[in-house]
Amino acid sequence: MEETIVTEQARPFPIKTLILLLLAAALLAFPLVVSLPFPRRLMILILLYAMLGQAWNILGGFAGQVSLGHAAFFGVGAYTSTMLLMQLGLTPWLGMIAGGLVAVALSQLIGYPSFRLKGHYFVIATIVLAEIVHIMFTNWDYVGGAVGLTLPLLPESLINLQFHSGNAPYYYISLALLAIVMGVTYLITKTKPGYYFRSIKDDPEAARSLGISITRYKMFAMAVSAFFTGVGGAFYAQFVLYIDPNSVFSFMLSVLIMLIPVLGGIGTLWGPVLGAFILIPLSEFTRIYLGGVGGALDLVVYGALIMLVAIFEPRGIWALVERFFGGRK
Amino acid sequence: MSLLEIKNLTKSFGGLTANQKVNIAVEEGEIVGLIGPNGAGKTTLFNCVTGHYRPDSGQVIFDGHDITGWSPERICKAGLVRTFQIVKPFMSMSVLENVMTAGFLHTNSTAVAKKNASELLEFTGLADKRRMVAGNLTVADKKRLELTRALATKPKMLMFDEVMAGLTATETNDAIDLILALHRQGITILLVEHVMEVVMPISKRVNVLDYGVKIAEGEPAQIARNERVIKAYLGEKYRAPG
Ligand SMILES: Nc1ncnc2c1ncn2[C@@H]1O[C@H](COP(=O)(O)OP(=O)(O)O)[C@@H](O)[C@H]1O
Ligand SMILES: [Mg+2]
Repeated sequence: MEETIVTEQARPFPIKTLILLLLAAALLAFPLVVSLPFPRRLMILILLYAMLGQAWNILGGFAGQVSLGHAAFFGVGAYTSTMLLMQLGLTPWLGMIAGGLVAVALSQLIGYPSFRLKGHYFVIATIVLAEIVHIMFTNWDYVGGAVGLTLPLLPESLINLQFHSGNAPYYYISLALLAIVMGVTYLITKTKPGYYFRSIKDDPEAARSLGISITRYKMFAMAVSAFFTGVGGAFYAQFVLYIDPNSVFSFMLSVLIMLIPVLGGIGTLWGPVLGAFILIPLSEFTRIYLGGVGGALDLVVYGALIMLVAIFEPRGIWALVERFFGGRK
Repeated sequence: MSLLEIKNLTKSFGGLTANQKVNIAVEEGEIVGLIGPNGAGKTTLFNCVTGHYRPDSGQVIFDGHDITGWSPERICKAGLVRTFQIVKPFMSMSVLENVMTAGFLHTNSTAVAKKNASELLEFTGLADKRRMVAGNLTVADKKRLELTRALATKPKMLMFDEVMAGLTATETNDAIDLILALHRQGITILLVEHVMEVVMPISKRVNVLDYGVKIAEGEPAQIARNERVIKAYLGEKYRAPG
């Protein structure tokens, strides 16, 4: 076991650049090649969930603070942009940013008490607080209560973020959002916050003894994580044009957001992307072909996958890929 | 005025008093030793001084500030840094990254942190292992890393908790050379060891702790002849066999 994440490359790695370029080209060309709505829809969901998984990964993977309440950030993002659109006619683009910021505010409210708790208690606190938010929205008539909100149909345009004649624009927007989150994550791993996050994960007591304000940096990781999760929620609302508490605040969503990086490779840059490409098709197919069971089967499949990862490669599938390409010991 | 002054520090765990009205002063630029049998309360004192525990009573004055009750990170920023007896490297990071992390206290630039860390690793003799994952180092190298990392925060004073325990004779000599080199750079040092022999030759003054109480203080030669100290260490042979 040599270094997994290193500041300096062990050797120049042209293959890596080549693969990256091919991947980017394939992703950009996808809607031109595939015109069927279903595969496109699937790809949009994969890209969206990869983004959500990466957002979770910043907090849970790099900083080691495992949250099972990320649906709360996703949900407030979705509701914020939707309400701003319905009440004030605000463009969803600004709605997205507003949704992200409301998620940040909520994350600081959740984070402040939760970070005082250690280990499992933190996880439990995030579950409980997210459930409270879920229940509040279910009982809040102003935002549609349990029925939820149907977004108004607007003329198709970029500024309205609505496209009815084809879903290629949604595809490119989700791709751009993922690219942004990937870029931000990459930047974090190469700079002071990334080093601090990892030190907090490895040994918080040692980190403190070296002058690192761990609470401040956990809050920061939580804020970045929540922001992008909220943005993702706002995009989702625009894409499906209907939101209700059970779909955007559900505990199962929090589980799925966590599973993506855990399966793909927790604390790695590419793990969440890999995880989304495996989990989302799986979850869509079980839903379509084995639907009616009502989510229970999803759980069985997720559980089985997690057990496989835990047994064969706790660092996730990305570790296998790295071993294969990097030739690392 | 002393750089570090521990005044009447008391800390107990339930019925056990781990530190009882301990007074220790360290002058700027000194190497001061703190010895005592296993369980004497040395590590507890470290934890109280560096903010990991809150003392029941007493005061810690560092560099003119009353730092009693300050958080560990604030105490580090004030220039007082400790190492851990049970080493705590950032296990998943490389040796270089460990030291860089500590170095970010003084810079936001990754390049600067890397350059400084590389120089420090050169100085402490870990340069050829800079790319190894810290978790895979030998105990001796982990202790060396812990020291390098502490150094990266640019401390005024370092507190070492048994940095030489478990080292071979050669490794111990290397560690002593390193500590003397730090001393020459003007860093004040409080050296805690369980074994008397390594502390004596390099400390200007030595404090002895036994059952949480300071039983002696003086020059190494005096301490070595002190009846109570000898008794405490002889007693240890019966208290802690093996
Ligand atoms: N967190 C703690 N809780 C309870 N007892 C403790 C704790 N830390 C240390 N002690 C006790 O305090 C005494 C002093 O321990 P310690 O400071 O580790 O001694 P030393 O470092 O000199 O070997 C021991 O009896 C130890 O069992
Ligand atoms: Mg000790």
